[in-house]
Amino acid sequence: MEIKGSVVLVTGGGNGIGEAVVKYFASRGAKVAVVDMVQKNIDRVVKDVKEMGGEAVGIQANVTIEADVARFIKGTIEAFGKLNIAVSSAGIIRDGTMLSLDKETGQVSKKLGLDKWQAVIDTNLTGTFLTIRDAAEAMVNGGWPGLLVPISSVNKCGQVGQINYSSAKVADALMPKIIVGEFLMRGIRNVRCVAIAPGYTATPMLTGMNQDALKAILEDVHLGRLVAPEEIASMIGFCAENEALNATTIEITGGLCYPKGIAK
Amino acid sequence: MEAIRYNDMDFSLEKEGDRWNLTFKLANGSSAVAGTGLFGGLTEGEARTRALALIKTIFPVGVRSVGPDVMHPNMIGDLKIVGPDVAHPNFVYWNKDSVSSPRDL
Repeated sequence: MEIKGSVVLVTGGGNGIGEAVVKYFASRGAKVAVVDMVQKNIDRVVKDVKEMGGEAVGIQANVTIEADVARFIKGTIEAFGKLNIAVSSAGIIRDGTMLSLDKETGQVSKKLGLDKWQAVIDTNLTGTFLTIRDAAEAMVNGGWPGLLVPISSVNKCGQVGQINYSSAKVADALMPKIIVGEFLMRGIRNVRCVAIAPGYTATPMLTGMNQDALKAILEDVHLGRLVAPEEIASMIGFCAENEALNATTIEITGGLCYPKGIAK
Repeated sequence: MEAIRYNDMDFSLEKEGDRWNLTFKLANGSSAVAGTGLFGGLTEGEARTRALALIKTIFPVGVRSVGPDVMHPNMIGDLKIVGPDVAHPNFVYWNKDSVSSPRDL
């Protein structure tokens, strides 16, 4: 698929990896739809695209609401006439161990709340499902060449303190296998699906954290630094251009390892 | 610059080169961006038509009903038909066109 002239929709496009994806594709001549919960983030990214001489539409929406997803898919097609690439980058974290113990009694003092579980599942799994489902529907009905990109995470392998996040991300990682299998079964040949599983990435959430904690994280990264959001974006661009990439999840982590050992 | 009023929102369609930028006013009076570099090569009239279609898609007008009112089903034989809870304080009864909707629901 040629990037120039294609139409790319990015949820969570107002910051972090999503913002980098928007700018990567806009800089290469794609038309972009920036979907985000926060209007001021949309404004900033769309203005940056404008300065690059690009074309962009900004749509404030919540990926967990089915009607919102239908609205931003329809809005993208209304603005640009088609949809070729959908990147489901909207995601949140609500970390915590499932059980916490009282240090003195050894009894359970706290459980991970359903609110923390449900919010992460809703955004990172259901939001991705709705975005990918409705984007695929548009691509199939429009007959346009398409690429669906769920954003998983290296923590799909299971990260302590992230039972909610890891559960959602392992499900996201599985989507390409199921979706492409179903496409083959249904005779849908014009749409591919490739998930991306980033490692620790230099988004504001990580670069702004406690620097000692950040240093400890980097000790387990073979590359010795955080992955740049632009490196994730260029991987998605490569997936768009290389049509043999399909039905798989690609990790881009800089070589994240378990402490002093095997790569994750 | 073209001003477009839709429902209770104010939009501006502004030409830059041969393309169009679309902005709108937020409730607090500040400006937000709906799109940039749009509708390349279109005339003012064509761009306005396309902009209005885009606005209607991104900012649809609708009624949010509250319910269902499971306590008061309509019975057709054994079949229960459950409607929205019209007694709920957040239910909006709306029998006029969208432009006449109250600004603060």
